[in-house]
Amino acid sequence: MIPAPFLEIAVLTWGLILLMVDAFAGKTDRRGVAIAGILGLLVVLAASFFLTPPTPAAASGFWSFYTADPLAIFFKRFALVTTILVLVMAIDYAPAIRMGVPAANPHAGLGEFFTLPIFTCVGLMWMASAIDFVMIFVSLELVTMSFYVLVSFTRRNPATLEAGVKYLILSALSTGFLVYGITWIFGVTGETNLTQIGTVLATQEIDKIPLLFGIALVLVALGFKIAAVPFQIWVPDVYQGAPTPVTAFLSVGSKAAGFVVLLRVLTPFLMLPQVGRLLVGVAALTLIYGNFAALPQSNLKRLLAYSSIAHAGYLLIGVVTFSGAAVAYYLVAYLLMTLLCFAVLVVVGNSGGSDQIEDFAGLAKRSPFLAFAMLIGMISLAGVPFTAGFLGKFFIFDAAIRQHQTMLVVIGVITVGCGFYYYLKVVRAMYWLTPPADSQPVPLSALSRLTMTLLIAAIFVLGVYPQPILNALDQPAARATISMFR
Amino acid sequence: MTSLLPWIALLLPLASMFVILLATRSLRTLSAFISVAAVLGSFVCSCLIFFQQTSAAAAICWIDLAPLFSVPLGLTLDPLSRSMLFMVTGVGAVIHIYSLGYMSADAGKSRYFAGLSLFMFAMLGIVLANNFVMMFIFWELVGVSSYLLIGHWFERPAAAEAAKKAFITNRIGDFGFMLGILMVWTGTGSLVFTEIAAGMAKLTAHPSYLTAAALLVFCGAVGKSAQFPLHVWLPDAMEGPTPVSALIHAATMVAAGVYMLVRVGFLIDASSGALHVIAWIGTITAVLAALMATQQNDIKRILAYSTLSQLGYMVMAVGLASGQAAMFHLFTHAAFKALLFLGAGSIIYMLHHEQDIWRMGGLAKRLPITFLTFLVGTLALIGFPGFSGFFSKDAILALAYERSLPIFAFAAFTALLTAFYMTRLVVVAFFGDARSPHAARGAESPIVMTLPLILLSVPAAIGGFGFFARNFLSLPNETKPVVAVPVIALLALLIGVVSALLLYRNRTTEPVEIELFRNRFYFDELYTALIKSTQGLLAAIAAFIDRWILDGAIVRGLSGGTWGSGFLLRLLQVGNLQAYGFLFGLGIIGLIYFTVFH
Repeated sequence: MIPAPFLEIAVLTWGLILLMVDAFAGKTDRRGVAIAGILGLLVVLAASFFLTPPTPAAASGFWSFYTADPLAIFFKRFALVTTILVLVMAIDYAPAIRMGVPAANPHAGLGEFFTLPIFTCVGLMWMASAIDFVMIFVSLELVTMSFYVLVSFTRRNPATLEAGVKYLILSALSTGFLVYGITWIFGVTGETNLTQIGTVLATQEIDKIPLLFGIALVLVALGFKIAAVPFQIWVPDVYQGAPTPVTAFLSVGSKAAGFVVLLRVLTPFLMLPQVGRLLVGVAALTLIYGNFAALPQSNLKRLLAYSSIAHAGYLLIGVVTFSGAAVAYYLVAYLLMTLLCFAVLVVVGNSGGSDQIEDFAGLAKRSPFLAFAMLIGMISLAGVPFTAGFLGKFFIFDAAIRQHQTMLVVIGVITVGCGFYYYLKVVRAMYWLTPPADSQPVPLSALSRLTMTLLIAAIFVLGVYPQPILNALDQPAARATISMFR
Repeated sequence: MTSLLPWIALLLPLASMFVILLATRSLRTLSAFISVAAVLGSFVCSCLIFFQQTSAAAAICWIDLAPLFSVPLGLTLDPLSRSMLFMVTGVGAVIHIYSLGYMSADAGKSRYFAGLSLFMFAMLGIVLANNFVMMFIFWELVGVSSYLLIGHWFERPAAAEAAKKAFITNRIGDFGFMLGILMVWTGTGSLVFTEIAAGMAKLTAHPSYLTAAALLVFCGAVGKSAQFPLHVWLPDAMEGPTPVSALIHAATMVAAGVYMLVRVGFLIDASSGALHVIAWIGTITAVLAALMATQQNDIKRILAYSTLSQLGYMVMAVGLASGQAAMFHLFTHAAFKALLFLGAGSIIYMLHHEQDIWRMGGLAKRLPITFLTFLVGTLALIGFPGFSGFFSKDAILALAYERSLPIFAFAAFTALLTAFYMTRLVVVAFFGDARSPHAARGAESPIVMTLPLILLSVPAAIGGFGFFARNFLSLPNETKPVVAVPVIALLALLIGVVSALLLYRNRTTEPVEIELFRNRFYFDELYTALIKSTQGLLAAIAAFIDRWILDGAIVRGLSGGTWGSGFLLRLLQVGNLQAYGFLFGLGIIGLIYFTVFH
């Protein structure tokens, strides 16, 4: 049996070791670093199934800002799986890194590109366990810092550089508001621990206005992380400019962590009606913006950026309706289908194509497997039955109907219709348009093929048998969290 | 005690299908043996379940959305499903073995056996399902496997057409079935049979709702068991290989509709209106199909119409509120009809795919085993005293006599017709002189095909006796035994046999031509005309709506509007960092305004 914090420590140590190896590796091929990273994370993932159960009474000292409840464990595994898949993509992306980083040694930078996601993973894992504002802030920053570097990694490419600058400045701006909001909440309640804040709110008579002001500022920062309207403005440019594996990481890892923190932070505050109302509005706007703005896109990465905003909208419905299991399931489905699409995008983009949808024309004739993988990713994102994406939306809408959020359901259903239009546009290009005359089959490594096969299988298995995910959170502690929501 | 045995019995054929499709597709003989091994494995499991009287299977929760709905993946093991399991795997095993001979030279052997395995999986799923969702899924799966197997020789247009017709006709019934399931679920809040049975009070409070739900569920059986007016697909389905006709379109799948009705008997029996409709649908099917059978020349088609007619008997029994009588006839029918089909298959095989009975003749001498077993099957089917069909048909006739005399009259008339057309078939095909060169040179089939015939003739002969049948079924016991019923039945039998003997002995061509029967009451023509006219009209209306209302107003307008708004939203994305910062700030102000001051 392993205590939960050892997971983070193990990942951190492994990341440092790999960084050291990279520093002294000279001119050897750095792909070994990525493979080692993947294997290390797999070991940690396996270890996460042998944790010592948390002791309920230990709410002091270290355990007052760190929790190992089922929600935390669940998202730790989520972060690990995401990072593993991103590393697989990064291996495929290596040629683009070599071209994008100015250095005499052709391997320079590759090792860092492979190890930085591991540090991001540590941040994500800590974030899943954070129940104190200080801890939340620190882990959030660890994630953001590593992303600053990753987003602008291929710095010979002006678009990447521009994306890096935009992400740096706007993210810093949002972080500033987060700290500011935390201080206001601390000023009103005298606490930074979320449980303590809940107790204070329930027992003492406090001034609501400054408290709401503080919450609004915290929500600004979290809204930035999860790409909710009106803080989505950075998403399309940064997603398009960043190296593709990093975009995938941003859209899955960063967003999922934002939602965990959102679930945790909102727990004590949901008794305030203003917060619920605000979130309904934000969810509706996010749905409409993400889906409608995706319609005219012709660049696949940008399309996926808007799609990521749209999915944040569906997830917010789950948050508004306090449905932790639905959010968790949706995030898992989102992970599978988004990373599948990005994996195909990396491989196809590498073989000389760009990220334009028209470059996927006739992919089904050139590389049937890749086209099939993309097809599954797209129909799952759109929400076709028997895929995980369908059940994700089903659970979210089910929760919303039970909470009588009719307006959100109506908007949700209409925007799903939009989704079919723009996702199937990609399918149309792959299967109905004729490929250019000089097109070649796209080479695909065995590792990527295996990964994609597993992702496709997972999308279908979870699409018909969702119970494992729903059960993962259905444990006493998680139930307590959810019942607090209710 | 929970047991994994039923799961093994269920999943073995599925595993066999995957192995054949993924690995051994090119090794045709190996594929065949894998499939046979799987079904034998299932049969052994079924025997163990049957003789150990296992009553519970391991179950897992598939989808749990309590309190909205939850679907367990559970299996029912009550006496009904245990016996059915035994019968399906038993007949299935025999027919698999027979297929080894019948399909030995077929190029698509792997595909054929994969299809059979898929069918076995789906059929066992129907038998074992403990809830409507699972039953519906397997219900559709047998539809798919039936489609694949009817269309096995898809290069023949008739086979491809028949497969399509079977599938689409079934879908019509299944649509009603689905609506019925939804109504039951809405009414009781559950999909599990035992829970629905427990919550029947909620349904019986609304009799008309209950009747509608029961009749919609019955629609599923109308499609699958080929009852009037959806009976048209079954005769065409004879385009498939003969073992398929024996297994799917005689013994098991078409009986699934009856089995389903018995399984949800608590639902059907609660509505007298529904029972009435069901009983008459069964009666009409029985009579019409028997009339059509008298004028067919294709040996398989005669048997197909006979199947329709016998299924009509079973549905009639369900409608007379006796699931026991229906299941009794289902069991005996499975044995003797599979036997008859396999016998027909043996003839067809040796006569190089000659199916016209007028081009046979004198086969009794050339195919002695086939002839003797076929004779056993015939005697069972026409209800000759002592043979299995006599007892089960008598049970249904007695039931009808007790409950409704008009139905009894039709049932007795059908018995007469049955005796007539079967005697005609036997006399024309087996006696007289050979009327074609193939018939003159025919010889007995290989042992792998005659052995199944012998195996099946045992239950076909003795299956009706109480000492044998009671092990498998709870037999219907007549409240007051009436002498009139067996007397009338025997009289009908006698008239049928004697008139057919007189009419067809030593004939070389058909002595009576009744166009109406031969052309199956013009149902197919009627449906074709109906579909053509309604389809044309509907298509015109749909085209108008699609072009002017949907495409013109809604789609153009909506897509233009959404695309335009999307385009406008895109304009926000100017790419300028200062502008982003400004919008970000506006957002913060808006958020604070709505949280704090609104």
